[in-house]
Amino acid sequence: MTVMNEDILRVKGLVKHFFTRLGTVRAVDNVSFAIRRGETFGLVGESGSGKTTVAHTLVGIYKPTGGEAYFRDQSLGEDFSHRSKALKKNIRIVFQDPGSSLNPRWSIKQILELPLRIHRTSYGKNHVEAVSELLRMVELPPEEYLYKYPQAIGGGEKQMVAIARALATEPDFVALDEPTSALDVSIQAKIIKLLTRLQKKLDLTYLFITHDLSLMRNMANRVAIMYLGKIAEVAPTREFFQKPLHPYTNMLLSSIPVTSDEEEKLKPKQIRSTGEIPSPVNIPPGCSFHLRCPRCMDICSRLDPVMTEKEAGHWVRCHLYPAAGQ
Amino acid sequence: MRTQVPLLEIKNLHVQFKVFEGVLKVLNGVNIVIREKEKVGLVGETGCGKTTTIKSVLRILPSPQAKITGGQIFYRGRDILTMQPREIPGLRRGELSAIFQDPLASLNPVFTVGQQLGDILKHSMKHQGVKGISKKEIRSKAADLLRETGMPDPERILKTYPVQLSGGMRQRVCISEALRATVKLLLADEPTTNLDVTIQDQILRRLDDLVEERGTSILLISHSLGIVRDLTERVYIMYAGTIVETTRTRRLFENPLHPYTKALLKTIPKLTGKGLSEGIRGRIPNYLNPPQGCRFHPRCDSAMNICRKENPPGFSAGNDHVAACWLFRG
Amino acid sequence: MPKNEIAASAFTAKRINISKGWYKFSRNPLSVLGLTVLIIIVLAAVLAPYITPYPEHAGPYTNFRESSLPPSLKHFFGTDTVGRDVFSRVIFGYRFSLLLAAVVITLSVPPGILLGLVAGYTRRKWLEVGIMRITDIFLAVPPLVLALAVTAMLSPKLLNQMMAISLMWWPWYCRLVYSVTSSLRHEYFVHDAELTGVGRGFILTRAILPNCVGPILTKITLDMGFVIILGASLSFIGLGVQPPKPGLGTMVADGAKRLPAEWWMAVFPALAIMLVILSFNLIGDGLRDMFAVEEI
Repeated sequence: MTVMNEDILRVKGLVKHFFTRLGTVRAVDNVSFAIRRGETFGLVGESGSGKTTVAHTLVGIYKPTGGEAYFRDQSLGEDFSHRSKALKKNIRIVFQDPGSSLNPRWSIKQILELPLRIHRTSYGKNHVEAVSELLRMVELPPEEYLYKYPQAIGGGEKQMVAIARALATEPDFVALDEPTSALDVSIQAKIIKLLTRLQKKLDLTYLFITHDLSLMRNMANRVAIMYLGKIAEVAPTREFFQKPLHPYTNMLLSSIPVTSDEEEKLKPKQIRSTGEIPSPVNIPPGCSFHLRCPRCMDICSRLDPVMTEKEAGHWVRCHLYPAAGQ
Repeated sequence: MRTQVPLLEIKNLHVQFKVFEGVLKVLNGVNIVIREKEKVGLVGETGCGKTTTIKSVLRILPSPQAKITGGQIFYRGRDILTMQPREIPGLRRGELSAIFQDPLASLNPVFTVGQQLGDILKHSMKHQGVKGISKKEIRSKAADLLRETGMPDPERILKTYPVQLSGGMRQRVCISEALRATVKLLLADEPTTNLDVTIQDQILRRLDDLVEERGTSILLISHSLGIVRDLTERVYIMYAGTIVETTRTRRLFENPLHPYTKALLKTIPKLTGKGLSEGIRGRIPNYLNPPQGCRFHPRCDSAMNICRKENPPGFSAGNDHVAACWLFRG
Repeated sequence: MPKNEIAASAFTAKRINISKGWYKFSRNPLSVLGLTVLIIIVLAAVLAPYITPYPEHAGPYTNFRESSLPPSLKHFFGTDTVGRDVFSRVIFGYRFSLLLAAVVITLSVPPGILLGLVAGYTRRKWLEVGIMRITDIFLAVPPLVLALAVTAMLSPKLLNQMMAISLMWWPWYCRLVYSVTSSLRHEYFVHDAELTGVGRGFILTRAILPNCVGPILTKITLDMGFVIILGASLSFIGLGVQPPKPGLGTMVADGAKRLPAEWWMAVFPALAIMLVILSFNLIGDGLRDMFAVEEI
């Protein structure tokens, strides 16, 4: 019997740099977090914040440049070519762009057969039934979809096929990299509902990545916000939205368009969005946010702040909130 | 209601596309009115015909697949659809302008920002009848335009190529092109969809200020009700090629009438975190064989017999509020 | 679900894809025209001994009584200096041109594809750079010059000409497949196949290659024309099909000496070359439209 609070995934000081002609892209720079079994851990941030790179490194598209990551007790320090089959079975991903994530030359049957053939040999020859079962799980009638090609179905349906493909290996952990950002809200609602239902039914742990804070509010148990490869703040979801500490969290919250006065009240008023996210090739010294920060102090341009726990489970990395005893 | 001739009036527009599978009956009688100095939103989901509408106005529908099979589009009382093809570019360079979702596609990669902006300024001044302006003057005017969109260091930006700029910067360039002095009506098709929220916020605020200052009319097309709520005075909700509801923006959020609008509003995730609705059951109709009667009826919880037979006209619910739904038949 | 229904459904899906492809191809009437002309040319070439009025004129035949006759109903394209029917020789000439194009493409496409796939997909920088630099070296030499050198070094006949042109041609396919592969290898569906745990061979041949088919086919049709013109150029300068066999290039070369008075000897073979190249190009345009993703 496993404990509910078991950390299924631990990431410690994860670093992923890309070496390009323009210089070193510090996409992920010393990121640490742990994900508990059965929870949905949210990673939010703008483009270039490194949130997708974190997911891609964890699932094995890249080998980390530094730091450690463990799934249970197996190291995630290598890319897919050196990972065990069991690890590949247990860690799966749903990609952001449903258009690019399904091979346009494969029928849906072929797409869903692949993980079955590799990881579930016990299903033997009867792939059609197994594939149909997967399609029913994501609420697509098999008789209608089995032999269709990706270009013949809508974006939402493509993403459901991608979810079925990820779940085909019966994984424990799924990284959801902006699974609905390319879709309309009415379809998004359906997919999110489906994901939550499947999570309960199959005892899944999610790493949920999005740039949409309103969606995050309704999906995650805990939220971490990233800026230029580093985590700026981590907190349980309710706390994160009611008492945001980091100026960047506040800026992001103040920028989102909402649809009711009730939500308008939750948006921080005293802060306005300015500037652009700098290139991750050229990260400003000190706190990387200080150039855009409305509450910037002298120390911010010199010294990179460290994570401190302001309240139980609520961590923030900002000089406004110095660690006790400093 | 004001009695003046509206700036743009789309009347009963029908557009069809011919594809392998048959004929897609996309636009099915679209009616939109934009008055002078008015900020209007057009909201709908992917594939509902928003972009087809705007492309019809600009006369840039893909040929030979697309065909306008009915309706008129009046710009200051003149029907754009019956204009001579050679008149259209003049209109687009003069009083009508557009910005699109992907700024990189609207900018020419082989010319600098300064060259492109300068060209447009020259043409637009020609349109006004101004001639013989020096290169230097044009350059400083171009820099002014960029500065107005909140671009830092415009002089330097003028010398750069579009690929050297970030997405937000490119869209600012497009906005400054679009908001030259002669423009009376700006069609903005998802102008910030590809941008980060903090950048989107900055750009939309700037755009709003500029439109306000110049008294330009704007038709803002978006899938995001939040953006439309912030920026517009009146809004049209589009579903499957028809306008299902129109009213003042405030009123739409306080008192939505059409079942589609209500369902759509419910599916938007809220910052207050009350969970998500189930979405709208079913999916967008197939344009090859759109449902008889009201195109929303197969997904509608309050569908009645008449909905399956007859397409509802717009029923007035007072206060400039019109809903195309049999529930409001008076 | 009953078994037969599934099979029928898979079959239908394929059939719909094919007829949809044809719809997009045939929307351009010029492509259909090109295809029609090409089919006629190929049929004519294959059936040349049976349909040409004077099949024996394709070989060492002389009839000086009928030499240098202008086009007439008896000889559609006139006759040449030794009295052979130009029309018959043009049809036979197509045989050599089409054979050359078919052999060159068959020889050069597979190695090009293989090297391109490997170079585009491998994570070993040296392998990628190695393959692509060798490709560049081959591309740097003008094909006509290298083919000239090879053909001249060996003996001037059709077989050597084929080998020489094939040697020149694979790098283009390598380049094409390389560029498609290196962009596809970062597509999510390729990542997903890798993360699922399939082997490299599977990814290259089953995940990536099917997505290269469109550009490859389009390039093949366009290249058929280029190869034919290159072959004609080589035989024009005497390094291809040897007399008395009727090479289209050789015929143009011989006829050129008789211009302008006895124009038909050069003009008809030249037009024949043009016609086949044009039809290949028109088909290429149609294929490009067919494989293009359509947006509405």
